[in-house]
Amino acid sequence: RPLFCASVLDHVTLHVAQLAEIKQQTTSSELSAFCCLFVRCCKTKRPLVMQAPIILLKEGTDTSQGKPQIISNINACEVVVDAVSSTLGPRGLDKLIVDGHGEWRSIYHGAVRQQGKTTISNDGATIMKLLDIVHPAAKTLVDISLSQDAEVGDGTTSVVLLAGEILKCCKTFVEDNVHPQILVRGLRKVALLSIARIKEIAVHVKREDVKEMDDLLKKCAATALSSKVIARQKDFFSQMVVDAVRHLDELLPLNMIGIKKVKGGSLEESRLIDGVGFKKTFSYAGFEMQRKKYTQPKIALLNIELELKAEKENAELRIDNVEEYQKVVDAEWAILYDKLEKIVDSGAKVVLSKLPIGDVATQYFADRDVFCAGRVPDDDLRRTIQACGGAIQTSVSSLSDTVLGTCQLFQEEQIGGDRFNIFTGCPEAKTCTIILRGGAEQFIEETERSLHDAIMIVRRTIKNDAIVAGGGAIEMELSKYLRDYSKTVAGKEQLIIAAVAEAMEVIPRQLCDNAGFDSMNILNRLRQKHAEGGKWFGVDIMNEDVADNFDACVWEPAMVKINAITGATEAAALILSVDETIKNPKSGANDPPPALPGRGRGRPM
Amino acid sequence: MALPIPRTGLATMLKDGARHFHGLEEAVYRNINACKELSVVTRSAYGPNGMNKMVINHLEKLFVTKDTGTVIKELEVEHPAAKMMVMATQMMEQEVGDGTNFVMVLSGALISNAEELLKMGLSPSEVAEGYELACEKALTILPDLVCHTLSDLRSKEEVVRALRTSLASKQYGHEDFLASLLADACISILPEDPRSFNVDNVRVAKILGSGVLATTVMNGMVFKRVVEGTIDRATDAKIAVYSCPFDSTATETKGTVLLKTASELKTFSKGEEDLIERQVNALSELGVKVVVSGGKVGEMALHFLNQYKIMVVRLLSKFDLRRLCRAVGATALPKMVPPSQEEMGHCDVVEVQEIGGTNVILFTQKAGDSRIATIVVRGSTDNIMDDIERTVDDGINTFKCLTKDGRFVPGAGATEIELARQLASYGETCPGMEQYAIKKFAESLEALPRALAENSGVKAMEVVSKLYTSHQAGDQNSGFDIEGEGAAVKDVAAAGIWDLYLAKMWGLKLATNAAATVLRVDQIIMAKAAGGPKPQDNPVVRDDE
Repeated sequence: RPLFCASVLDHVTLHVAQLAEIKQQTTSSELSAFCCLFVRCCKTKRPLVMQAPIILLKEGTDTSQGKPQIISNINACEVVVDAVSSTLGPRGLDKLIVDGHGEWRSIYHGAVRQQGKTTISNDGATIMKLLDIVHPAAKTLVDISLSQDAEVGDGTTSVVLLAGEILKCCKTFVEDNVHPQILVRGLRKVALLSIARIKEIAVHVKREDVKEMDDLLKKCAATALSSKVIARQKDFFSQMVVDAVRHLDELLPLNMIGIKKVKGGSLEESRLIDGVGFKKTFSYAGFEMQRKKYTQPKIALLNIELELKAEKENAELRIDNVEEYQKVVDAEWAILYDKLEKIVDSGAKVVLSKLPIGDVATQYFADRDVFCAGRVPDDDLRRTIQACGGAIQTSVSSLSDTVLGTCQLFQEEQIGGDRFNIFTGCPEAKTCTIILRGGAEQFIEETERSLHDAIMIVRRTIKNDAIVAGGGAIEMELSKYLRDYSKTVAGKEQLIIAAVAEAMEVIPRQLCDNAGFDSMNILNRLRQKHAEGGKWFGVDIMNEDVADNFDACVWEPAMVKINAITGATEAAALILSVDETIKNPKSGANDPPPALPGRGRGRPM
Repeated sequence: MALPIPRTGLATMLKDGARHFHGLEEAVYRNINACKELSVVTRSAYGPNGMNKMVINHLEKLFVTKDTGTVIKELEVEHPAAKMMVMATQMMEQEVGDGTNFVMVLSGALISNAEELLKMGLSPSEVAEGYELACEKALTILPDLVCHTLSDLRSKEEVVRALRTSLASKQYGHEDFLASLLADACISILPEDPRSFNVDNVRVAKILGSGVLATTVMNGMVFKRVVEGTIDRATDAKIAVYSCPFDSTATETKGTVLLKTASELKTFSKGEEDLIERQVNALSELGVKVVVSGGKVGEMALHFLNQYKIMVVRLLSKFDLRRLCRAVGATALPKMVPPSQEEMGHCDVVEVQEIGGTNVILFTQKAGDSRIATIVVRGSTDNIMDDIERTVDDGINTFKCLTKDGRFVPGAGATEIELARQLASYGETCPGMEQYAIKKFAESLEALPRALAENSGVKAMEVVSKLYTSHQAGDQNSGFDIEGEGAAVKDVAAAGIWDLYLAKMWGLKLATNAAATVLRVDQIIMAKAAGGPKPQDNPVVRDDE
């Protein structure tokens, strides 16, 4: 080291700029500190009179650069990961989140108090979204979790966990002065390798065999549900989810599965309606007299207001004699009755409208044995079209059989505290409705989110029929594969790949930790099994053991894992490749804090 | 607190609050320091191994990028001298669309090297002159360094090789993949006359989910919307485009319909219905299968469009509407009238698809037919997708430059070192004071391979000296080998690392201009900023190290 110092001294005689460069090159901190000192010394010798800061950027701008920046970004991410890690797996715990945006809500009569919205969830994406993270680097983790949600719908916690663990492994490398770009390159390679490996070992199921396919779908749904709040009813719900998705057409549009929540009752009372169901809409007098059950009715879907009203806003009537006045009044009624008559004449027995149906119309329909419902929500109406056929009519002039829908049975039913209009036995049947029952509001909300995940999983599996074993099995296999592979590469990449291989183990480890098992023990046994070629061995949560999860029917679509690994490595690469954060002061809504006098405004002092 | 010392000279003539700096100490060195600081910010982003920057702008929007143009734009530089550099990069962005960091690093090096010359006793104007002289000489040398000329703009293989280097500096590791996508997109829409290539014709649609490697190219356009009506697919479709709302026409002048009798009231709404039906019917008879509207689609109109099985798409942006017209060859109609045959567009497939949970409308043309290509960018976070989009933009701009000038010079620092070598020997032939400046110019050029090496974690001195050795030996294409271990050099022309000739030329010009302008300033007079805080006499003194 003294030798080096001496050489530094030589450099000083050259010029300061070169010294600054040596400062950047030196690896050890003491040496750079030494150089720093010299740079400082040299600078003081400069003939500058005063050392005042140079204001380059807008005041309030915050910049930070270099290795410490990367480390601090990684640390921020670790904190976020900690927040969600305990939700992973069947034994994961839920989080209760009360969001800060308290809203003024009226409770009882006039009594008002502030209350935040309470959410109980163990869905990674939901939690990440509600956490309201402001740290720019940690936000990336929120993004990947949302991206996983959009692309495959499930595995949102795993992706965050994986990204966090990869970053944690890379932290030691960054501290040891490995260039981040080398890490990034290593990560990209790992992603490609892992995806290739997943594709290689994934099991394909014959799509033609409907029964086998259904079986597969049910198992995938059950695996997704087993980590959710409704794990106990997973068989019940996985059957329901598979049936629901099977109803859809090729595009598998998600919004064609309606999920209605009714408080009260037990989870098992939830049911799948093979058709459409929606809550009874607001009705006018005369509704009680209508029949509530029709078999094979014709259904008219309208976008017309069936009430007395002005035909056109900007029309004006000028009347010069009394007889004409009476005629005009009659004409208005005639227009309405004309519409009603046309509807009844078309043979429709059920009339649904997006717009209100007034009491005159309600009573008119009641007299003629027709059921009507106004102000039906748009998406319910769209689902009705998908199920029963027909088309929404904005005019009654062309009501023919082609635009009327039909179904086997229409009836109004009491479910819990609400009445539901239910259409079953629909000819088109490209839609269905799930009615969820359950205790507390938050509980039903969480059930809905869980079902959403399961539905997404089933949809993905239908489109892409490759599956792998869950319960940490595929991660252990990838870990082993990467570790073996790393031994064949020379150079720094070997270390990086081996590190990521270890990072992959985080999923089974967290599964064990959350279940209260001795993770060291189980991981060791898993490693041994995989080394012996048991590629589907994973954690057996029920028996605190390891098991062949493929036989145990813990299956997940390969898509989920491929997407999770892509997302996690991309996010890790992104965070590692940032060495500087520049933050401009916020403008707009909040007035900027009063500026320090005498600085800024580009003053070169 | 010291009492304010009354200023003499110019200060007494200026309004209260105005500030005035002059001379080497107060003005020039300060400016130099500011420029140096700015170039340090972007220097670490130079080259394939450069690092990203996280910039949060005043609207709290987060950018993760190493595209210098973006970083500088969002930084909001305030220092007047540093702004000169910013303007130079902006010129570069407009002129070439790429190579902004080249300008930044070079002008930063020029300015900081000038400081030493000034301390030696040269006058700023002498330095500036010398720099300009050197730049002129460099530009005459540059054409001799050309190592490759693109022969065929329509050959995918050639274009991929040409685009690679530009993309590698932004998305190292993805360059081959992106280059091939971009080449497909650009070649498919290249018009008969390559010079009329329009950058706007390659669109980017970002859809969250999956990974960057799932990015694809398609012929036609992609909109992140859903259809208005119930029809969501049409093939071999004639398209009518309206820039107006598709609804019963209302008069601009406020008017009231005057009804006199009850029968008029009865037939009023009926008449309106018939009118719309007639219009939709006319469209249907013309064979129109898709209607695109720039405004609202009336409920009654939508009813009839559904009835006649016509697909309805509503576009909110006027620009999107214009682009779609270009893509399908339609003319946008400003009025609700049936289009003539020429005014109708044609598209092979119009359909709604789900990509990663997002519903999109695709207007797809058969290969070779489309005048617009869209790159569907996928990525796991918004930031990644934004960055890919910027990279794609740079790549397209590179392609545009190729349509003007297909010449390339070797990259990876080879050109800079060769220029530096030749300039240094040229400098020695100059008799006057400019000799020093020319030599410094040559030294400044070293800053680029130096930045490349530093960003890759390699000792810069070693790389530069190795480069000089091999260039002296006559190998003018030898550049820094980024993939090699340590300070390795290789023949970069053979490795396909080529920079655009145009980018280098403009970069040299603009960087020299910026440096010269900054150096020529010897006085700064600033009026009191309107409404700003009052300047204080004792500024907060902070150590600048």
